[in-house]
Amino acid sequence: MRIKCPYCGERALEEFTYRGDATVKRPRSLESDAAEAWTDYVYFRHNPAGLHREHWYHGAGCHAWLTVTRDTRTHEIVAVEFADKREGT
Amino acid sequence: MSRPLASVSGLAGLTVPGSYGAKVGELGVTIAERTGLGIATVAACKGKSEALKAAARKAYGVELPERSIVASGRDILFIGTGPGQWLAVSEKYANEELARELAGRLQGLASVADQSGGRTVIRISGPRARDVLAKGLPIDLDPRVFPSNGAATSTISLMGVQLWQADDTPAYELAIFRSLSGSFWRWLAASAAEFGYEVKPG
Amino acid sequence: MTSQSNRLRDGGLIDRAKTVRFSFDGETLTGYQGDTLASALLANGKKLVGRSFKYHRPRGILTAGSEEPNALVELRTGARREPNTRATTIELYDGLEAASQNRWPSLKFDVMAVNQLFAPIFGAGFYYKTFMWPASFWEKVYEPAIRRAAGLGRAASAPDPDHYDKAHAFCDVLVIGSGPAGLATALEAARAGARVILAEEDFRLGGRLLAERYEIDGKPALDWVRAAEEELASLDCRILRRTTVFGVYDGGTYAAIERVNDHVKLPPAHEPRQRLWKIVARQAVVAAGAIERPIVFGDNDRPGIMLAGAVRTYVNRYGVTPGRRAVVFTDNDDAFQTAVDLADHGVEVVAMVDARAMPSVKAKEIAAKAKAPYFANSVVQRVRGRQAVKSVDIAAPNGEVHRIDCDLLAMSGGWNPTLHLTTHLNGKPVWNADLSALVPGALPPGMSVAGASAGQFGLAACLASGRLAGTEAAKACGFKPKRHKAPKAADESTEASPVWQVETSRGKAFVDFQNDVTISDIKLAAREGFRVPEHLKRYTTLGMATDQGKTGNLNGAAVLANVTGRYVGAVGTTTFRPPFTPVAISALAGHHRGPDFRPARLAPSHKWAEEQGAVFVETGPWLRALYYPRAGESPQDSVNREVANVRTQVGVCDVSTLGKIEVQGTDAGVFLDRVYANTFSTLPVGKARYGLMLREDGFVMDDGTTARLAEDRYFMTTTTANAVKVMQHLEFCQQVLWPELDVQLVSVTEQWAQYAVAGPRARDVLQRLVDPGHDISNEAFPYLACGEINVCGGVPARLYRLSFSGELAYEIGVPARYGDALIRAIMMEGAAFGIQPYGTEALGVLRIEKGHPAGGELNGQTTAHDLGFGKLLSAKKDFIGRFMAARPVLADANREKFVGLRPLDREARIRAGAHLVPKDAEATAKNDQGYVTSIAYSPSLGHWLALGMLARGPERHGEVVRAVDPLRGEEVLAEVVPPCFVDPEGERLRV
Ligand SMILES: [Zn+2]
Repeated sequence: MRIKCPYCGERALEEFTYRGDATVKRPRSLESDAAEAWTDYVYFRHNPAGLHREHWYHGAGCHAWLTVTRDTRTHEIVAVEFADKREGT
Repeated sequence: MSRPLASVSGLAGLTVPGSYGAKVGELGVTIAERTGLGIATVAACKGKSEALKAAARKAYGVELPERSIVASGRDILFIGTGPGQWLAVSEKYANEELARELAGRLQGLASVADQSGGRTVIRISGPRARDVLAKGLPIDLDPRVFPSNGAATSTISLMGVQLWQADDTPAYELAIFRSLSGSFWRWLAASAAEFGYEVKPG
Repeated sequence: MTSQSNRLRDGGLIDRAKTVRFSFDGETLTGYQGDTLASALLANGKKLVGRSFKYHRPRGILTAGSEEPNALVELRTGARREPNTRATTIELYDGLEAASQNRWPSLKFDVMAVNQLFAPIFGAGFYYKTFMWPASFWEKVYEPAIRRAAGLGRAASAPDPDHYDKAHAFCDVLVIGSGPAGLATALEAARAGARVILAEEDFRLGGRLLAERYEIDGKPALDWVRAAEEELASLDCRILRRTTVFGVYDGGTYAAIERVNDHVKLPPAHEPRQRLWKIVARQAVVAAGAIERPIVFGDNDRPGIMLAGAVRTYVNRYGVTPGRRAVVFTDNDDAFQTAVDLADHGVEVVAMVDARAMPSVKAKEIAAKAKAPYFANSVVQRVRGRQAVKSVDIAAPNGEVHRIDCDLLAMSGGWNPTLHLTTHLNGKPVWNADLSALVPGALPPGMSVAGASAGQFGLAACLASGRLAGTEAAKACGFKPKRHKAPKAADESTEASPVWQVETSRGKAFVDFQNDVTISDIKLAAREGFRVPEHLKRYTTLGMATDQGKTGNLNGAAVLANVTGRYVGAVGTTTFRPPFTPVAISALAGHHRGPDFRPARLAPSHKWAEEQGAVFVETGPWLRALYYPRAGESPQDSVNREVANVRTQVGVCDVSTLGKIEVQGTDAGVFLDRVYANTFSTLPVGKARYGLMLREDGFVMDDGTTARLAEDRYFMTTTTANAVKVMQHLEFCQQVLWPELDVQLVSVTEQWAQYAVAGPRARDVLQRLVDPGHDISNEAFPYLACGEINVCGGVPARLYRLSFSGELAYEIGVPARYGDALIRAIMMEGAAFGIQPYGTEALGVLRIEKGHPAGGELNGQTTAHDLGFGKLLSAKKDFIGRFMAARPVLADANREKFVGLRPLDREARIRAGAHLVPKDAEATAKNDQGYVTSIAYSPSLGHWLALGMLARGPERHGEVVRAVDPLRGEEVLAEVVPPCFVDPEGERLRV
């Protein structure tokens, strides 16, 4: 598989590290009623057959965290963007 | 006795000037260590990119690149290594001096860290330079794809590398982690042997 | 020396002026430049070249290409011996040595051929049925026996002395195969301006054109090949000969193996034997040709029985006839061309046997031309001759049987497109009824097929489909191809109506030659319910040999279809996987062997430590000094001495391998507060603090110390093992979780050579190194102080008052280029105070004596509470892991917690990994209350001690438990104690 890093260009899979679901949001609340939100955030993941937004880290290249939209059935990569959209500003 | 401390290259004892490898046909590549360079990482502070660029323009007459290329400023090369990040390399501001110089000029705009002791810089040039690098570097260096001021952060044979094109001979300069100097050198010597290589004094 | 008795008088793409000497099974023979080992053996009348895998049946040469299942030999000798190489692809060179394999004591007389007599028990499912019970018999009886009896060649036992290379290549269009379709593709793509790589597994371009007598543009086809080769050389086309593209991977990535120097006796100095290519191609065109099918009939594996197309290859390309009296047995017109080619070279064709029900007009014409008797609607029903064909019985439709003497039987059951590469990414071939063959189905992005691989069998069709593929591939890469004149050629007849198999009463009818799978095996499997090809494969081993069933798989499907009353297309075949042909492990390893198995990171003191005779250990990617032995010492003696020296005098240890990260920016303190469980924003400049990092699930991730060098500048250390992981984690926090913070991270692990100087005399040593003006007295520079200083006359340095050993200690860092000089300086200045270096083993003992958790305890299953760090968890701020760490289950008092363990018998040794059970309880899983994480012999205390995790551990100090090691069958009674064994008040490190 090859991923087109927005900074480095297209690179082979070996340069990247996979993290997973990019759609989960870290809860802000530390109150006890936030337990479910935290459990969701830490443990529960969707496993879609199809398009999936996921985090990849270009550790062997520019060290950017990327949000990759990938078709889990075909490995086709539809979009790649910086996870931090304010990067460089 | 203990002073002053000697500076020792990561390649000490490995690079002996001379000709090596195949002797048929023209010399494949020339390899030389570049010693005494000032090397520093520069990272833009949050929200200071434009101010930083202006400061770099003013101080060094350089446009800090926003992509993976090398830009030459007065006495300093700036190599794009990531969003808002550069590797600065200088002959004039040798060793630790470069980080001091940059930290002073870019105060409040960028975080600077000295890397002059942590990198081994090797220059590989000659007609077979691309063929040698292709044995480890998973990047297309063909001039139609890789610009003559191109740069890349990647790996060579499982070792991290920052590479930039120095001229169209072609010549490439590679910054590798100091601790990997020995392993890298063995890879380089093994890979260049087929084409013949000359080691020039650093 | 035998003469080349079967060499034809003329013809062939061989250089008859260049005689090549080689040996086979010790006999010296000659061939010509341009031969393969197979063609040279045939030229010398050698028909018997190997023994089969299971039954040890005599086998000859079946094919003329990489699909060969029979003629596997051991090539070269000694350390360069390579088993299972296909004689049909070995380019002949002067001094070549080859030997037949899988026979004993000799090829002609093979004791194991008795396996044939036991054929009934070697049938399908033999392994599953026979060796079920008892299990111990597997290792002791069955497996050794099977290994002796069945098998292939022997690998070399000495290390491979040759060099293997790897290389990356990039192109617009990768063309796989250089037959008519491949050449036409490459020409069109390169003419359009595309960057082309043309890979050909043979040493000569041309593919099938080398084996046939075709014409293109009214001239011999090879003239066109030569012209194409010249034109490609003038364009942007890299031609890789002797290169097999063996695997297809996502993203247009292809793996290929180039046999750079397999065709010479020894690789020239500095050249690799083979090169592994990783090719990234925007477009790829598979033009890999087709593979001929055998016909399945009794004793179809006898030496002298060969595929018809291979016979033409030997005659036309190599000027060799595999026999003097030939029978052609086929079900298609194409194969009868073999009769013409043989007859034209004066070889007698004694019968043309046509298995098709309807006689063919074309075949009759050919029979007349070749002056050969034509047997329509007939089959070969019996083969005589064990080590070579002597005669065949031909059964005519009227029941007559003609016995015909012959020494060559050319057979053909039609052709299968070589589509293996189209299936590596899960593509499923589809049945083409017109061709009676599977053709490529859905293709991976960027791949197309041309020529025979696409089922375009005629020459004109091949050329046309290649031109189209080349044009389309160039267009897909953004080029605008111009029209070029099309080469003209005729389409030979490709009419086929396969018979697949001949039911005969005699002899084994082989489907898979390499794995000795017969019709009866498949029938048996079908009867037992294995009716899906994937099941059939695993039950019978059909297609599981190194040739992956290139010649046999579809025939196997046809037999299965026949037995189960389906048509072949409905049965299908199994999935082909990389590699297309076997690839040597050496080639996959490339440079990465021996000391370069993986890159080694060397610490700044490495060279000095080598000079001291240090013993090194791999810790992650680093090589670190384990201990520094002195003459007459055991390893334990050395470690004991090093530990004692730190406790009583002073020692020095290279700790440069710790991960080091500069955290800068106006929000650096806030950032650290969020990534550490404890607080750093309040840390004064010039101070360092122990930091505990959790994972978001509340368990401990890593620990280390972080020093504040300036208001907006921190220097973090991580454990050596977690350095990369922590950097990745911090960058995730920085870029994804809190991009609004002004914080910059950069690894400076390589920049700083860092030494721990530890022991009561540490300050005395440092005093002699730091430049005047820096006060490092206990008052001015107390425990946990840090600062930027100069040492040894102006060298910039950082000094930290940190202690892992529990003694008065410092860590001193200088730019790594001074690291070598600094360790020498420390040793020189420290000599007066009894300084000795200590390695990671002593480092470990010192920290176990002090009860500091490290790798064994930070194992991903422990929490801050478990490790006794509960008080570090700040309640004033959010931080990674805070919420989940507060889960009741993680704060449960019954969890296993950090303790020290002291053996009651002071001579006893507790083992790492031992389980902790109550003193009087049985050692069962139910009673398991914890485990031992670290052990050491403590020279300070004079006995072994241990650290571990024990349920409710801290409440049980003073209790005696059993440390049970079921692996070694040992158990030790141990007293539960606090984890710190030496100076629990921590007085020594503050002096
Ligand atoms: Zn990148």
